[in-house]
Order: sequence, then C-alpha cells, then structure tokens
Amino acid sequence: MTAMAKQVEDFLDTSAPFDSLDSEQKLKLVKHTELVYLTADNVKELQKGKASLFLIQSGQFSVKDSDAPLRHLSEGDYFGYANIIEKRNFPLSITVDSPGLVYCFDALAVEPLLEISTIRHFFDGLSNNALQSHAIADSNSMWLYKGLLDAIEKGPVSVDAQTPITDAAQLMTSQKVSSLLVTEQEKLIGIITDRDLRSRVVAASLDTHLPVSQIMTANPAQIMGNRTLFDALALMTEKNIHHLPVIDHQTLVPLGMVTASDIIRHQRGNVLFIIGELSKAENLYELTRLSWQLPHYFSAHAKKAGDYDIAGKILSQATDIMTRKLIGFFQQANGKAPMMFAWLVYGSQAREDQTMGSDQDNGLLLAKQPNEAQAKYFSDMADYVCNGLAKCGIKLCDGNIMASNSKLRLSLDEALEEAKQWVKAPTKDAIMHFNIFLDVRCAAGDVGLFKQLQKQRAPLMQQNMFLAALTRNSNEISVPLSMFQKFVYEKGRKEKDVIDLKVRAVALINNIARIYALADGVTLPNTLARLDALSSRSQLSKRDAANLRDIWLFLNRLRWRHQLENKVTDNRVSVSSLSSIEKHQLKAAFKAIERTNQAMIMKFSGGVS
Amino acid sequence: MIRRWIKACFQAFTSKSKLKQRLREHDVYSTSFAAVDLELTSLNPLTTQITSVGYVSGKGGRIDLSSSGYHVINTTADLGQSPVIHGLTLDILKNGENLAETLCVLAPLLKRHILIFHNAKLDLVALNSAFKCCNVPPVEVVYIDTLKLALYQLNKQHQVLPSNSATLSVCRQRLDLPAFIEHNALDDALATLQLFYAQLTELGITKDDALDCLLHTGAVGRFKLGST
Repeated sequence: MTAMAKQVEDFLDTSAPFDSLDSEQKLKLVKHTELVYLTADNVKELQKGKASLFLIQSGQFSVKDSDAPLRHLSEGDYFGYANIIEKRNFPLSITVDSPGLVYCFDALAVEPLLEISTIRHFFDGLSNNALQSHAIADSNSMWLYKGLLDAIEKGPVSVDAQTPITDAAQLMTSQKVSSLLVTEQEKLIGIITDRDLRSRVVAASLDTHLPVSQIMTANPAQIMGNRTLFDALALMTEKNIHHLPVIDHQTLVPLGMVTASDIIRHQRGNVLFIIGELSKAENLYELTRLSWQLPHYFSAHAKKAGDYDIAGKILSQATDIMTRKLIGFFQQANGKAPMMFAWLVYGSQAREDQTMGSDQDNGLLLAKQPNEAQAKYFSDMADYVCNGLAKCGIKLCDGNIMASNSKLRLSLDEALEEAKQWVKAPTKDAIMHFNIFLDVRCAAGDVGLFKQLQKQRAPLMQQNMFLAALTRNSNEISVPLSMFQKFVYEKGRKEKDVIDLKVRAVALINNIARIYALADGVTLPNTLARLDALSSRSQLSKRDAANLRDIWLFLNRLRWRHQLENKVTDNRVSVSSLSSIEKHQLKAAFKAIERTNQAMIMKFSGGVS
Repeated sequence: MIRRWIKACFQAFTSKSKLKQRLREHDVYSTSFAAVDLELTSLNPLTTQITSVGYVSGKGGRIDLSSSGYHVINTTADLGQSPVIHGLTLDILKNGENLAETLCVLAPLLKRHILIFHNAKLDLVALNSAFKCCNVPPVEVVYIDTLKLALYQLNKQHQVLPSNSATLSVCRQRLDLPAFIEHNALDDALATLQLFYAQLTELGITKDDALDCLLHTGAVGRFKLGST
C-alpha cells in the first residue's frame, strides 16, 4: 500500500495545474513519482534517466530542455515538459546552482493527465511562453452580465393548469405579483398576466370559474436559468414582452419570472447608472453625495474579471463628468470664461486606468497669454474645481500636478515652448518630471485647442533622440523577478510578500505603449487604445501588442480585486493571496514585459542603454 | 572479572570494526536508505508505546514516493497528552492495525536498508520493546542519526548549542529545505530522508565515498532489535 505524505499532497495542491486533480488521481501520479535531492553529484543520472516531467520544490537550477535558450529556474518552475508534449528526446542539460528538491513525475503517468484539457492547456501555454489567458478572451462584460439566478428574487409563483381563474387572481393579489406561471406536471405550459385578466376575462365577460388554461398564453417565450440578465433583456425586447419565465436548464422546472421592473431595478445597481445620476447633479452637494457612493457601487457590483476591465474607464468617466460639472457650477457663479481654454488631465485619468487610490493630475491650456484679471478668473476656477474634486473623493495631488498650480496653467505658445524644452534636454530628472504629461487628454473645455497643441508638438516628440531618452528612462525600472525567476518583493513593508503591481509592471507596459505610440504618431492616451491603434509601420508586432494587452488586463484585474477585497487604495498585491495558476500567470506576465521592454530598448536606444 | 572486562572490550572492538567493514562495502550513492519515524505515546523509553509508523526509501539522492508507508497502530496504552502532538486520538487508533502484523511488514525493510532516524535512540528503544513484546525474530539494523549529524555540524560552530537548534524543522531550515507540518510519522520520515541527503551534500560527501566516512561523526550505529 502506498501512502501519500501530507507534504506531498500539500505541495501538489498548491502547484497548478495539479491542484485540479482529485485525491485518487494524485495518488496514482505519486505512485510514479520520485523526489530527488538534486546536487551536482547526482544530476547526471537525472539527465540520462527516463523521460519525466520535473517540478522544482526548492533550490536553483539552470536548465536547457528544448530549443529555447537556457532558463534559470527555481521553486514552482517546471521543466522537461517539451519532451513529453512533443514526444521527442531533447537531451536535458541541468546545472545545479543551489541544490534542492525536485519532483520527477514519470512521463507514463503524466501522459494520461494531458488528456484533461486544463492540464494540457497549462503545459501548452508553458511551452509557447504564452500567458495563461483563458478568461481574458471574453472580457467585454458589463454589470448586466449578471447571472439570471442572482437576478430573480422571488421563488416561482405558479398554479396548475386546472386552477379556476378566480383562485389564480387571488393568488396573484396575495403574492403581489403581476404574472403567474401555469404548470402541468411541474412543467411550464403557459403564463397569465394582469393584462390577460383584463383583456381576456373582464373585457370578454368570461366565466371566472373556468380553468386558467383557457386564458393563458400557451408555450410562452422562456429562458434558461444559466443565462444572463442581458440575454433576458435582449429576448424581452425582441419579443416585446414584459414577463419572461426562467426555467432550469436541465430539469426544465420553472424557477421564477423576470419582469421588466426587475431589469429596471438592476439597472439602478449598475455603475453606469450612477454616472447618469452624476450628470444630473445640480450643485456641489449633490455631486459629492453621489461621488462618495462610487466605491460602494464598485465593491457591491464588480464581481467578475470583466467588470474590473471597465472599472478604470468608468471611474475616469465619472471623474470627467465631475470636472465638467464643477466647471459648470463655477461658470454659473462667476460668468463665462474670458477666453477659450481646455481642461487637461494627465497620467492615469488620461489613460482611463484610474483606481480608487489615484489622485488628480490636471492642468489648464489657455488660448493666449491672459491679462491679470483673466489670470485671476482661471486661478479661481482651478482652485474651485480641484478642491471640488477632492470633496468628491479624488484626492489632491501630492506632487502638485494640478491646475491650481500656476505653472500648469499655460497658454498654447507656452505649452509648445515647454515641449521644445523637453525634447531639447531630455535629462533623467526632466523625464521624471514630464513623463506624466505625455499621457494627456482633454476632459473639459475646448477640444479644438487641445488638438492644436497635439498636432503642433507631435513631430517634435517623434525625434529619435527624444525617444531614445525615454526608452533609457524606461529601462530604469525592471520587473520584480530575480535572476532565477523568483518574485522579488517590496522591501521594508510589513507584509513580506507584496509586489506593487502599478510601479513594477503596469507602469512598464504604459511606458512601452507610450513610446511606441509617440514613435508612430498616435495621440491617444489610453494604453489599450494605443496598442490597438499602432499602425502597420509600428515596430511593435501585432502579436506582442495583443500579448501586452492581455497582460495589462490581467494585472489590472489583480489590482482592482486587491483594492476591492481588502478595501485599500494601494496596488501592493500579496503574492500568497493569488491562486497557484495566477502566480504562474504573473510570472509569465513579468517575463513577457521584460522581453518586450528589452526589445524596445534595442530598437530605440540604438542598442545602448 | 578482568577476563570478562577484556572480553567485553574485545567484543566492542570487533563489533566496531565489523560495522566499519560493513559500511566500507557501501558507497553512498548505491546504498538503499529507509527513513523511519515513529509517533509514540510518551518520551519515557521504559513505558512508551508506538501509535504510528511511517517510512520511505530511496538511494542516490532520490526518494521513491511509491515506497511510502504509513501504519496506525491499534494500541491500548495510555495516550497521556500525546494526541496533542501527533493528532492520533483514541478513535483513530481504535481502527488501527495490529502491532505484530505491522512489525512483520517492517522487519524485511529494516533488514534490507540502512535506516535513517532523526533521534534514533528513542525510536530504537521503542521498536526494541515492540519486537520483544510481539515475539518477532530479532533483526540487526545499521542506522544513521540525522540529529547526531546535525549536532556534529553545530558543534563545529558553537561552544554551547542554542536551545532547539537540532529539531527536525530547524535542521531542515538551516539547509534551505521547505517547511512542512511535523509529527505525522510518514511526513517526518520523508522529511528526515530529505534532510539526510542535504546533510551529505553539506558534509561534502561525494558519489564515490564509502559510508564509513560518516563514522567519525558518531551518527552511525548498529542495534539488535528484539534481543534480550
């Protein structure tokens, strides 16, 4: 009898994809497993031994197991899978950098497991170096994509087909419903609604002792319980009906009824709804009251990965609306602006990837140099708007990148002159200072003015010297992986295993997208939009761009979930809070970012960094 | 009197040289080791009883996980406070196996392998009395104690040993082996075997060395289980 030690089981349980096996499958696998304390002394035998899949539990090794270059591996990393998947015999070469424990799963025991799609997918992903992005493909979901079972609140209210009309009407009254499910042997055969009672009974003076089957709508449109609220809405709109029975997708037993009013009620729980409300606010008090509900709405309604994808965008839109509202309130009290202006937003608000902790970064662009009175007007307006935003929960910028700072209220000419200075002397300090201004969007005021600025300064920023300087600057940050592909955690924190995903990873992707966008003359500020908009002339391949997009969405999901689950506003995600597969994904994401970043440095900085 | 003393000395000497001879025949990488661990009812060698046995074997730095074995013993002894440590309560033990049968399964394993214990003394005493009590034919075993190996290394570095510096977990931690949950007999056996392999590397013992190179550490011994 083979027993399985707890530590072996625990280790498998935390190692994707084997965490998905049941205990019988695990025991079967363990029967064909050796645990090796791999040292320089016994490594040769492993290389010569039978084909196996290897999983490192501790120690550090340099491995070449396929045509891919030498890899430095440590705990949690697999090797030897290429031989098993591709059924070939690439000689394994391992150098022991620091001895440790390695699980060797016999290929014969692993092969049957590869028939399980999740496991196959995992190792295919590893060998293609791709991000494990099974959930990312369907990212366009919204709050309406809520499961129907979550949406229907009442259990089914139903009557048998033989029930007299009077009894059915009484049941509807006592249950306070406007429709009934009519069943025969528990299967749905029809529905009756208030309207049927009105038009088919009262208007026709029908005998109310007749069975409901006489007046019901037979074979009504129906929807399975595993669909979404959105599907229900689409069907109801298509058929022009207000009541839609929901039935179990396997047993076909009715589960309840979705009504038009259910959908309206859920619409109120939609973050898009609060945006609508924001734009109706009539004064600062109403605006702040609604704004403070935003975090609550996010934590109550953002449940699925797809929700996190658009959360940043919604928050940015909300901030835009607040800004426009505040400018409107100011103009109501102080009169129209004395000249054309554009309210510019920078950084995360411009990129539309704000999170709960993002502070405000904004500035003003003026049509011409203002005189003293005009300058006073804009100064007052900026103060009012910035403080107003702070009251709405968008905190003031620590770095004073706000329109209330007189240095950020520039005329068009001044702004152009400033851009020339950036391009002329892109020193490290200067880039630190102006990097944030390169992601810019006009949130309020005259968009034409802003477009003029962009058009005039775009050619400046396409200059090679400038791009080279930006690229070198981007090289200052590296992904948090050590030489041996171990996670490098933030130092000096109370929590031992946190990584600041914004600083260490998202910012890098933003840099990459920004530099390629500048080189390509793309003026959009949003990272995903930039990656999408790159022309065929761009030096970033479509595949890399698509990969970066997936990674960006993945990282964004992790930090939104971190913020909502822990009710914090930072981006320091604890690695131990991630699932085993997420850890793998995160590592793959970091590696991919690093590769793309290095490729960019080779392209733009002339290979010198 | 003197004759008897000389005889004892002689016997001790020959037994030691016999052990040395035996060890010299084994090189480190082709010897089969089996790590064995017992969970006991108390730490008193006179009264302690076995509640569970775990073992796993391997050679050349490898551990064959399919050789893992674990037996819970249906003991009637007073458990005292021991369930707090090993987690085996009366209910679990009631469904356990018969001690004599388990020892019969164990005996060939003990004979064929060089045994690895962490703190051999207590486990050997407990096994010895179990062998006697169940009338199992005596078995002579050669064992290596990872606790003694650890102490040998520690004594090189410390005049006075820090307390708790030689527990299984602490020893493993020192050699960068992963943490595990202690006090399950099989887990402890597996952890001990891993520790032993790591200790061999730490001591700089290579493939071609014979096992007698461990003799000077005082961690190797011979024991006749079930003899009076």
